Amino acid sequence: MIKKSAIEISQLCKYYLESGRQHVIFKDLSLSVTAGEFIVLLGRSGSGKSTLLNLISGLDPPSKGHIEVNDIHLCELTEQQRTIFRRHHIGFVFQAYNLIPTLTVAENVLLALELIHAISDYDRDQVVSLLTQLDLADCLDAYPDRLSGGEQQRVAIARALIHNPDIILADEPTGNLDIDTGKQVLALLENLVRKAGKTLIMATHSEEVTGKADRVFVIKNKALTWVTDKR
Amino acid sequence: MRRLLKKASRHFLYLHPWQLVIAILGITLGVAVVISIDLALESALHTFKQTTQALSGKASYRIIASDGGLDEKLYTHLRVGQGVQNLSPVVNGYVHSTAITAKTFKLVGIDPLIENTFQSAWRQDNKTGNNLRLITEPNTVLISRQTAQSMQLQIGDSFPVTTDTGRHILKIINWLPENNARELFAHLLITDISTAQELFGVLGKLSTIDVVLAHDPAATIQRIRQALPANVLLMPLNEQAESLRQMTQAFSLNLTALGMLSLLMGMFLIYNTVSFLVIQRRLLFGSLRSIGVTRQQICRLIIEEALLLAMIGTVLGILLGIILGHSLLPLISGTINALYFPVDHSVLKLSPLQIGKGCLLGIATTLLAVLVPAWEAYRLPPHRLLLRSELESGVRRFIQSAAWLAVLFIFLGLSLVLLTGNNISMGLAGIFLMLFGFALLTPQVSFVLMTMLERLLARSPSVLVRLPVRMVKAEISRTGCAIATLMIVVAATIGMDLMIGSFRQTVSEWVKISLPADLYVSLSGNMQASHKSAADHLLKQRLAKLNEVEMLSSVLRTQLFRGHTRNKVSVFEINEKSRQGFIFKQQSHEIWTAFNHQNSIFVTEPYAYHHGLELGDNILLRTAQGEQAFAIIAIYADYSGDQGHLAMSRNNYLRYWPDLGFSGIGIYAKEGSNMIQLEARVKQLLQPYQTVKSEQAIYQLSMQLFEQTFRITETLRWLAGMIAFLGVFSALMAIQFERTRQLGILRAIGMTSGQLSWLISIETGLMGLIAGLFAVPVGFIMAYLFIFVVYLRSFGWTLAFYFNAGVVFQGFMLALVAAVLAAVLPALKMAHTKPADALRNE
Ligand SMILES: Nc1ncnc2c1ncn2[C@@H]1O[C@H](COP(=O)(O)OP(=O)(O)O)[C@@H](O)[C@H]1O
Ligand SMILES: [Mg+2]
Repeated sequence: MIKKSAIEISQLCKYYLESGRQHVIFKDLSLSVTAGEFIVLLGRSGSGKSTLLNLISGLDPPSKGHIEVNDIHLCELTEQQRTIFRRHHIGFVFQAYNLIPTLTVAENVLLALELIHAISDYDRDQVVSLLTQLDLADCLDAYPDRLSGGEQQRVAIARALIHNPDIILADEPTGNLDIDTGKQVLALLENLVRKAGKTLIMATHSEEVTGKADRVFVIKNKALTWVTDKR
Repeated sequence: MRRLLKKASRHFLYLHPWQLVIAILGITLGVAVVISIDLALESALHTFKQTTQALSGKASYRIIASDGGLDEKLYTHLRVGQGVQNLSPVVNGYVHSTAITAKTFKLVGIDPLIENTFQSAWRQDNKTGNNLRLITEPNTVLISRQTAQSMQLQIGDSFPVTTDTGRHILKIINWLPENNARELFAHLLITDISTAQELFGVLGKLSTIDVVLAHDPAATIQRIRQALPANVLLMPLNEQAESLRQMTQAFSLNLTALGMLSLLMGMFLIYNTVSFLVIQRRLLFGSLRSIGVTRQQICRLIIEEALLLAMIGTVLGILLGIILGHSLLPLISGTINALYFPVDHSVLKLSPLQIGKGCLLGIATTLLAVLVPAWEAYRLPPHRLLLRSELESGVRRFIQSAAWLAVLFIFLGLSLVLLTGNNISMGLAGIFLMLFGFALLTPQVSFVLMTMLERLLARSPSVLVRLPVRMVKAEISRTGCAIATLMIVVAATIGMDLMIGSFRQTVSEWVKISLPADLYVSLSGNMQASHKSAADHLLKQRLAKLNEVEMLSSVLRTQLFRGHTRNKVSVFEINEKSRQGFIFKQQSHEIWTAFNHQNSIFVTEPYAYHHGLELGDNILLRTAQGEQAFAIIAIYADYSGDQGHLAMSRNNYLRYWPDLGFSGIGIYAKEGSNMIQLEARVKQLLQPYQTVKSEQAIYQLSMQLFEQTFRITETLRWLAGMIAFLGVFSALMAIQFERTRQLGILRAIGMTSGQLSWLISIETGLMGLIAGLFAVPVGFIMAYLFIFVVYLRSFGWTLAFYFNAGVVFQGFMLALVAAVLAAVLPALKMAHTKPADALRNE
């Protein structure tokens, strides 16, 4: 069975100008991801994992090359269109949780929904049920900074999933957590994503996850090196 | 260690240059405004003093008379009869020249033969021989070389001038000596007594006699005083200068208060910036603390930085203040000229004392503003990453205590205002205290208002609607400060606009009422001129004979001595209609019979206020026959000056003082007369220096003068407003810039830059709304205090309070628009920042 392609990247180049000098991060990088795949990105700090995730999500435009997500050519979109694209297709989980400190847990999750459509009581129920599923029923009305790191990251996961995007991008989601909590959060994320049949790309150092991934890549020398393939 | 410490924090500052610029600007502008006001005021007064000194030299006393002038014979009597030496007779006045450019000169007639003991500036070169030609040749003058050259004149050339007596040709026979009083001399002509008397038509009269007390001063004073008639006075010169300074004291104080308002605004600016610099570096300071840097070192670092900023800002502020002073000087001199006494061609004068004051102000203000942020840095714990929310919960307690303090300040301020009687400074201090209190109260008010709004919005499921409210609330320490600054400017604007509006309205109504006649003839002219009285009476008779004229009224504006001070007196000849021209604040019964036939007098409201006089009190005035008592039978409104004056009937006046003609004649036309025709016919009867104006024309002129005297206030107000808005802008922008990361998150989860701009605008708009809402009652209180405390105490005027909804609405909109405008730059910046970069920030 030929699965639908979720992400097509070809000849992707990304460089930054730093004090007048060009600093290359990727050169001619290509990658093809099918829908429902779980991909892990490895690489040293500074190798460009975050940059790649930002490119896929349209947070950052490429310097050269093609990115196609769900048959949408990101390079042809304007900044505004990329934002709308992100709103519908991408769920993002960051290392630093990145919750809005002035909104409660439930509101943080609801916000992702409200950016898509006006919200109703039904949406609120959805949010409560998802948060309950994530074992956060007690802190719906708490503000993020009263929560532990693990709890905050679970809220972030809820925010990334609530609007039912096809692609979840996770940038070192366990980087700020202790090992045990990290394991729990990862298991949860993987579980939810798998169950819903979504595509997941995760940058991480965790050995644990690499075992569960469909494919593992390492970013090295400005390109992707294939490590394992369980398909 | 210290070098490293400095380097670490300097690097941060390099990364945020605009915040530094704004902090420096705050100091610069605050200092500049205060310095410029001080400079301009002092210079205007100094010019007056210097003119007096340059012309009178070593003279320490002056013999003056009321407007009848001094009889020349008095001089001869003192010198020959009493043997008093070192007397210098003077005749002075103003002449106009139209050679090349129109110019007004002060023309001073002196006796060139007088002893050198006077050593006045113009006499410094000893070529008196040449100056003797002033006596021998009529219409000869000395002029400064620069002025003559600018008029393309040389020694030996002649040029025309006009005075009340007509056109005259003056001949230059020598230059004035060159010395440091050059600017003063630029508009000075020196001639001899008899030429001056002829030019001004005051034959046989002197303006003043200057006196040098060489030896045994007490005895000489005694001798002179005994020889003087009752309506002539011997006055110490410095006392005269002092009384002029006192005259302008209220005016000066009000300007200084405006300057202090600017400084206060500047202080807010500095406070905002420095506390931002501290908060933003809390991470850096935290890590520094964890590697062993002490609290004291961090504190010192911040204070050192602030001092550096203060020094740069102060130096720039003084420079800018000098420039600003140059432009304020004509405005201030103009107002002093219009309201108090003539100051001729002021030049800005700097003294080291003023520069020192400026330095002290700049540095002290900065240190005061930095106190709180330095303390914040001091209590920063080491290593532990201080959460913004922790910081804010501490702040929430802080703003609560601030609110209590605010209530105390407002209460203290109010007590100060209410309990200090007539003291202007205390009244102003009280108002400042209250303003400061209201500013301190603002964060708490904002917090409460936002909490209420949040409750209101709780029903809506929308998160986006709630977000801006939460943002204002969550960072109340920053937002509250910005709102407070905005509130104060807007309140001050509303307060001043209401005050000026009320004043304008009051004056307008007063002017209308006090112009009951149809036409007014102005008969300005030298009161000492011997021909004036007869000529005036002749004119009045001719006017009365005109067909259309129903009746006439007249006024003579002169000065009389009460004790040792000269008081302005209006001498009225009143008819049934002109009686309507007074707005009485208090009056006894049957005033008009008493006014015309008994020793009675009216006083203006400011006069009564300044001298603590009441209805029924007696005023003693000097006459040639000794002092006479006049009973006060009415107190009436007058806004033409803040010193106030007396009014008496012509009947009364002529009983004790010489007839000096009239200053003005009011013409009441018969029903249905053609005014334009009448005006033309009146004009034909007048001399070139006399004018006739319709009642409407005078009304317009008066209102123009009113606006002119407020120009300086308006200018200063705009300056203060500008500084404050700069503060508000910088604070609002800094809040947004500090939030770059948070805004990046919103972009990452799918908020467009357009939506983000909305969010930012709504947040700052909310802040503007709070500021505007709170500014309305505070502005009202300000207006009320300005009118019923400051203006009453300063000038003795009671004004009616006129409410103007437009002003309030404008102020409210000002707050809103300013706040929303402040969102533009951050919104633009966010739109141009890639979300990926925004997320990387921190
Ligand atoms: N906006 C930028 N300007 C300059 N350099 C950047 C920028 N963004 C990323 N980089 C550089 O790109 C490289 C990759 O960064 P990143 O993707 O964050 O790595 P990783 O997530 O693997 O640690 C780093 O060397 C970083 O300094
Ligand atoms: Mg990274």
